[in-house]
Amino acid sequence: MTDAALVQGMIRILLVCVIITAAYIISTRNLLSLVSVYSLQSLTLVFLSLALWTLDSSPVLLAIALITVVSKVIIIPYFIATVQEKIRIRRDIEFHFLSPTTSLILSMGLMLVVYMALGRILRGVPARENLFFFGAVIGISLMLMGMMVMLSRKRAITKVLGFLSMENGVLLFGMFVTELPFIIEFLIIIDLIILVLLTTILTVGIDSTLEDYHKRLHRFRLVQGPEDQP
Amino acid sequence: MILLAFVAVALLALASVAAGSDHRKMNAACIIHAFLYVVLTLYVLLFLQLPVSSFLVGSQYFFMDRFGLFEVLIASVVFTCAAVYAGGYVESLLASGELEKGSLKLFYASWTLLLLILVLAFFCDNLALFWICAELTTILSAVLVAILAARENIDAAVKYIFIASASMLFTFVGLIFLFETSRTVMGAGTLNWTILVQHAPAFPSEMVLAAFALVFIGFAAKSGIFPFHTWLPEAHAKAPSAVSAILSAVLLNVGMYGILRVWAIAHQTAAAGIISLFIGLFGFLTVGIAAISMLPEKNLKKLVAFSSIENMGILLIGMAVATPVAIFWVLFHVMAHSLTKASLFFSAGILHRQYRSHLSADAVDEIRDVFRFQPLAAWGIITGALAIAGMPLFPVFFSKLFILLQLGMVSPAALFVLLVLLFIAAAALGYFVITAFSVISAPGTGPDVTPYLTPLTMKLPVIFLLGLILIAGTIFLPGEVSFFDRIVQELMFR
Repeated sequence: MTDAALVQGMIRILLVCVIITAAYIISTRNLLSLVSVYSLQSLTLVFLSLALWTLDSSPVLLAIALITVVSKVIIIPYFIATVQEKIRIRRDIEFHFLSPTTSLILSMGLMLVVYMALGRILRGVPARENLFFFGAVIGISLMLMGMMVMLSRKRAITKVLGFLSMENGVLLFGMFVTELPFIIEFLIIIDLIILVLLTTILTVGIDSTLEDYHKRLHRFRLVQGPEDQP
Repeated sequence: MILLAFVAVALLALASVAAGSDHRKMNAACIIHAFLYVVLTLYVLLFLQLPVSSFLVGSQYFFMDRFGLFEVLIASVVFTCAAVYAGGYVESLLASGELEKGSLKLFYASWTLLLLILVLAFFCDNLALFWICAELTTILSAVLVAILAARENIDAAVKYIFIASASMLFTFVGLIFLFETSRTVMGAGTLNWTILVQHAPAFPSEMVLAAFALVFIGFAAKSGIFPFHTWLPEAHAKAPSAVSAILSAVLLNVGMYGILRVWAIAHQTAAAGIISLFIGLFGFLTVGIAAISMLPEKNLKKLVAFSSIENMGILLIGMAVATPVAIFWVLFHVMAHSLTKASLFFSAGILHRQYRSHLSADAVDEIRDVFRFQPLAAWGIITGALAIAGMPLFPVFFSKLFILLQLGMVSPAALFVLLVLLFIAAAALGYFVITAFSVISAPGTGPDVTPYLTPLTMKLPVIFLLGLILIAGTIFLPGEVSFFDRIVQELMFR
């Protein structure tokens, strides 16, 4: 086993990395890099769960790391990138309500609020080291930052990424606060994959014109039947 | 073991949908599927020892108590009616080219799966598993909304998924809090409702408050509670009417069921007072927003959808009062609302086929000469509107009356506000019906409208449901009162 202090230091650094990726997702206008950053964020989560595993060697954490690699580092980003190529959108420059700078300032404020609120709520929970509290705060903050992406972006495909990073926040929070049975974690991932597949397919319909959409559905072989004439 | 029977029936239905060559066969599979569920549920209710538990050895993921069976019974009755209705309705969608023949299999497969997942959701003992099932119902019902592949439908479906799923993530965080609470109090963490509800009095109030608030967000979004209701009118109005009926009469219950289950845990703790205020406040806001949005509404299906939001608000207010009598009538209202709302959407669907606007689903319905073209649907809407507004002889009358009386015992001022809001909502419904149905063109001068020949399969469910609500509104079936009483006891409201 590695030195516990070293691992704890690493976990802190990784948590900071998670926040940096979240800030990037909030502010960037480049859609292609958005997907790779999401993939990177998920990879950071994998390392985090591995680091936690070296601390308390629970097999659930190892299993979480494994399914996260397969689903969130490989399958989902690959799928979204493929769809993005198909709909030929590279930049998302439209924002609702919030500009990226305001969102960033707002998320800093949110982190502070989360820190104070969680401090109060988790007061009753005994034997919580500092590190675990820190992880829980980052988890909830990541979730709220993802929600801000969903609120502030106009393009549906960017909203999907916002949703995904919200989900990463929940996973992070769950990892640090408690330990759910593996079957539940597994089912959640399945649920997530279906959700992303469906939303992305529907998103193609929103982010492009409807005639194109029908053609694309046929190309993906999602709908059988006679080809539509454009 | 009986749970496996439910799953097996669904799998058989799914297989026959997959193998079915034409619309008629797939539809028949769905009707039989839902009807068998009615039979199975009645069998469990009448002949088995309740609550039935531990079907699968060693796991405590599923159980059947009266509350779950009650919701399943509503769901399967509504699904049976909706499947019969879909026979004629989908045929007409196919004929008009709104639904492609290729999408038919996807439609019926999602339909069958949706019913299965709903039933599993109501039988979940583990709250996290319930959460997953609830999520899956969102996904499957979104497919049913988007199936028409018109841009508006896709927009509505995506909005529905985004709002419901993002809010459901908060619910999951809430469940993690609940799990952690149970771990600190009981030593071993669990999310099994039956265990949590036993140990609830020992839970620290701060954790419970945080957990409940977070859990509430997601389930509220699924039930269309303000401020997460924005997806609901669009999704309900743009879905095919058979699907609208399911969305409104069954899927909204999923969220309410979740809230009531967690409330059953939370109301035994010291946080009950604050949470009660919290629920009540959202209830009032929801009824208020719905009533005010109904006033200027000119689209029939949207109007009916807003009325669903209003009724969800009433349920919340009843839950906030939290006396055994109030919970009793909340349960009764769930049933009354589901049956009435399904019949309203069926009638609205017939009118939609007759007067559909080719421009947009958003456009104002151009209803005219309704008694000449669609007398049954017209009377269906009138009766349904009277029923949902809470006229005597209909079940909603009693549930609204007693929830109002219970509220009045807590706060007369709140009672007054609610009465005004309910009056506005009822007036909006009445205004719409009177103005829309009194448009009569002189013979020979009206625009060229060809009467839509409503198939019998679309008429039968309306008549059946209206008959059912008349029975439910006038008499208590033997054992009905004690059945509801037992649910209230099981939920620990006493």
